[in-house]
Amino acid sequence: MMHRSPLSRREILGRCLGSLTILCSTSALRVAKAVALPQAQHRKPTPANEIGSFYKKRAPKAAMLRAPGDPGMPLTVRGQVFNTRGDAPANAGIEVWQADHLGRYDLDGYRYRAQLPVDPAGVYEFESVIPGHHPDRVCQHIHYLVLAPGHKPLVTQLYFATDPVFEGDPDHNFGRDPLIHSRELVRPVVLAGDPREMQALVHFDLVLELL
Amino acid sequence: MTWIRICCALVLVPPALGASLKLEKTITVPPEAVVRFTAVSPKGDWVAGACQDGRVRLWSFPAGELRQVFDLEDQRVSRLRFSGDGALLAVGGDRGGIRIWNIPSGKLKLQFKVGEPVVAFAISPDRTLLAVARKDEPAQLWDLTTESRITDLPARFAGSLSLDFSPDGQWLALADADTEIRIYESRTGALRATSDDLLLETFAIAFSQDSRFVYAGGADKTVSLIAVAGGKLLRTFPRQTHAVSELKLSPDGKILLAIYFDEKGLANPAPVVVWNVAAGSVEAQVFEPEVTPNGGGFLGSGRVIVTSSAGPKLQVWSVR
Repeated sequence: MMHRSPLSRREILGRCLGSLTILCSTSALRVAKAVALPQAQHRKPTPANEIGSFYKKRAPKAAMLRAPGDPGMPLTVRGQVFNTRGDAPANAGIEVWQADHLGRYDLDGYRYRAQLPVDPAGVYEFESVIPGHHPDRVCQHIHYLVLAPGHKPLVTQLYFATDPVFEGDPDHNFGRDPLIHSRELVRPVVLAGDPREMQALVHFDLVLELL
Repeated sequence: MTWIRICCALVLVPPALGASLKLEKTITVPPEAVVRFTAVSPKGDWVAGACQDGRVRLWSFPAGELRQVFDLEDQRVSRLRFSGDGALLAVGGDRGGIRIWNIPSGKLKLQFKVGEPVVAFAISPDRTLLAVARKDEPAQLWDLTTESRITDLPARFAGSLSLDFSPDGQWLALADADTEIRIYESRTGALRATSDDLLLETFAIAFSQDSRFVYAGGADKTVSLIAVAGGKLLRTFPRQTHAVSELKLSPDGKILLAIYFDEKGLANPAPVVVWNVAAGSVEAQVFEPEVTPNGGGFLGSGRVIVTSSAGPKLQVWSVR
């Protein structure tokens, strides 16, 4: 039986740099936001990913999905909606839904489900927790539905480069989840804040195709 | 005190608690061919199983004799369904292939591709139309006589999850991923009604025997009754503990077989409920910790049968 040799500290750090950045500064949020400034340019459409089960319509309008005291790693996701011309589509709407930190979907109510506010520039942001692993899925994920008049609906999913399934190497291991067809959907995770109160930050832009 | 105990027992013990599964047949398959899910013919005389080795096996029932082995060559089987008269078995694959075989001869009648993984399909009662739900893309309506596509049947987004033709052949009902139930004219694919009352996805639908209503069951753990005319939600059967994966109406239209699944893990055991459709009440409910139902239907006598897999054994149970 073959055993994998343990990774050296250098190797571990090297792998982490590809998927995770740790910023121990409270200014990390502002830095991440600045990096996210829109640039008018033609863009490649965001890969679609299957809608999966458990979409529930009429979710509440909210940007805060986690409740005070919810277990799990706090998560902030932000990004911007564009179309392939690089413009912000007017009246774009984003719905997200996800499992809780234990991988359970709320079918009875609307926990971890929301219609997100999107500003005229297409910027969105929400607060949640890193979802757990659903027993019938390989990877942690957040579902997205993005609708905008004059644009093709986008159904996709956000994955986390820090997912243990990837073993620190999402470039090579993203295919371990048979539903992940595009590496692009596996997003880097920035950890920020005090080490005792870490917060995960993810940037995920969404690019719609014009009808 | 004794009266209180008796009253509590009456409240806590539903009349259907005595229902159980009786093992009718065990069919042994090769170890590499564990049955993933099944389709039972309308008369209960055939059981088709989608196997791990990529093949579809057809057994006679109750004899349990292997009569045919079909395959989709390069595709994993994603769906099986008999035509309403049991004369055809349609098999759909995860790369968009569909093949239809004559039963019991096993002669290939038709094959074509729909471009995307097949999620569900149905053959019209006169066997001239095929409706196909495709993964995350609009469902399609096909003319089997000309092997041509009549039209697409789009939802607001994503695709459809379940569909069925009405027994009179006039209507086609689709359960779409946007949670809406849409009713189309079968021949033309013209949209005639939309029901937007259900909040969660519907995974299974079935028409009533008189073609006037659609039963819909899904993630909301209920079975809902929807009027074909107008799409209005008329009634909801009492909510259960699990999500609905499959609905089958008995040949006499009086009994609805609902197979459930555990949304926290598809491999977990899940209940089977036999509904009295007139009363909207549970006629029988079975939950066996060792049984994860993977298909079901009715025998000619109207008895309910359910299938499950235990390693290389396909088990067929009757609900008592």
